[in-house]
Amino acid sequence: MAREATYRFDVFTTVGSFVVRVYLLRMVWTALYAHNAAPKDLSRHEIITYSTVALLMGIVMDIDQTRALNDKLRDGSIATDFMKPINVPLYFFADGTGEVLFHAALLVPSVLIALLIFHIIVPGPAVLAAFLLSFFLGYLVGFFLNFILNCTSFWTLEISAVQLIVTWLTDLLGGELIPLILFPAVLQQFIYVLPFAAMFSTPLLIYVGQIPPARYGEVMGLQLLWIVVLGAVSAVMWRAGARRVVVQGG
Amino acid sequence: MQTRRMANVYRQYWRINILTTLEYRENFLIWFLFTFIYHGTAIASLWIVLERFPSMNGWNFRDMFFLYALWMVAHALHNTFFSTVGEIPDHIRDGEFDRLLVRPLDTLFQAIATPGQVFPDELVLALITFVAATLYSGVHVDAVFIIFVPLIVIGGALIDLGLNLIISTAAFWFVKVDALRWIFIQLEQEFTRYPLSIYSRSVRLLLTFVFPFAFMNYFPASYFLHKHEAALGVPPAAGLLTPVIGIVFVALAYVFWRFGLNRYQGVGH
Repeated sequence: MAREATYRFDVFTTVGSFVVRVYLLRMVWTALYAHNAAPKDLSRHEIITYSTVALLMGIVMDIDQTRALNDKLRDGSIATDFMKPINVPLYFFADGTGEVLFHAALLVPSVLIALLIFHIIVPGPAVLAAFLLSFFLGYLVGFFLNFILNCTSFWTLEISAVQLIVTWLTDLLGGELIPLILFPAVLQQFIYVLPFAAMFSTPLLIYVGQIPPARYGEVMGLQLLWIVVLGAVSAVMWRAGARRVVVQGG
Repeated sequence: MQTRRMANVYRQYWRINILTTLEYRENFLIWFLFTFIYHGTAIASLWIVLERFPSMNGWNFRDMFFLYALWMVAHALHNTFFSTVGEIPDHIRDGEFDRLLVRPLDTLFQAIATPGQVFPDELVLALITFVAATLYSGVHVDAVFIIFVPLIVIGGALIDLGLNLIISTAAFWFVKVDALRWIFIQLEQEFTRYPLSIYSRSVRLLLTFVFPFAFMNYFPASYFLHKHEAALGVPPAAGLLTPVIGIVFVALAYVFWRFGLNRYQGVGH
């Protein structure tokens, strides 16, 4: 934790950037709702809540929990990790989750601002619980996606551009920027074939009530399916990678 | 004599940049893909939103595409020629900057001409996008357009440079300015995407008079697209003032830079 705690400046940046972005999205949605026919079951207040909660989720989701893997492959210290009596992938999960928990602490001031100053909608306890569960499942989908990306550094060592590309695509195709239900029909067809919707869209649509309780089982089942699929891919890639550890100059 | 030497150094700078890019071809391709996806998702987001909500304060997708493309060219021009200014804080931190101080050429010029892996790929992409946006938005291309657009683009790049230089100068006092830079880049990139008229008065004033990003694209685009919104009561022709604003902003940033440079004591290497 000491490594993370040194970044005290992070608090300031996270909160500052959050406030600026909430302001921007409020202005954008307000202008759009003022001059056009509103979508029939998504009010202005609901869509602003959606986008604000998406930003809050982003504070946690946008962290690359398994970055340490890439770093360790670059500087060669992965070799000593393999000698230790530990399960290395589990170590990365624990390490990444520690970082995420630290960022979750960063979340507190932003959540308070969202509730007290921006007055976002807060659903009832049952919906809130479903949201949190679905958010956790989405977090796992994101974890495995990151793990897979970082595993590619067993083969190629420069992956930061690829990671940024995946981040932009996740923001757009996962529904973090714009709710997927507002996408043109043409795009709707293949957004749902991709894992990104399971990360942001599902929990967010539960939060604003667009997914009714009757469908919770179905949508969370789909999230679980993604976890299983991506988890299996992660395991295969990890084994293949570990067998041929090419440590650069280590 | 001095100018001739600078021209020589600058030519070498580009030679090294291009050789480096050719050396790391795969790396270049993947970063180009990154640039492409970055602008692609930004434009796609605008398209998706405006497909569902056809008007944003009277601006449709064609208008917004032109607005974005105008910002993109200016920004890409800045990135191509002045992105190295953003690396000054790194040079200060690792002590490399002190070497520039003892050499017999202008310090800022040397910082600008520090080779890396710079290549004009984003600029080429931006120019193509701009031509597409101009044709698609149906802007009337007349003599005023042809004369002023290049000047506006240069002015916009200077506004970008001014901001970049101000933040880098802050590194003389604060060792880590990455967070500060990140906030301002976000402010510029995301707030220039929409018409200024959607913001509250204080933000409009901020983006016009303090950090004049609105002159990079909003005011000129309003002029060319005949949007008479009169945000802040500025007459439409103000959009043609961008080159002047760019020069003034960069001059102010340069004064600040000289001030910081004169006070600089080194970080103790």
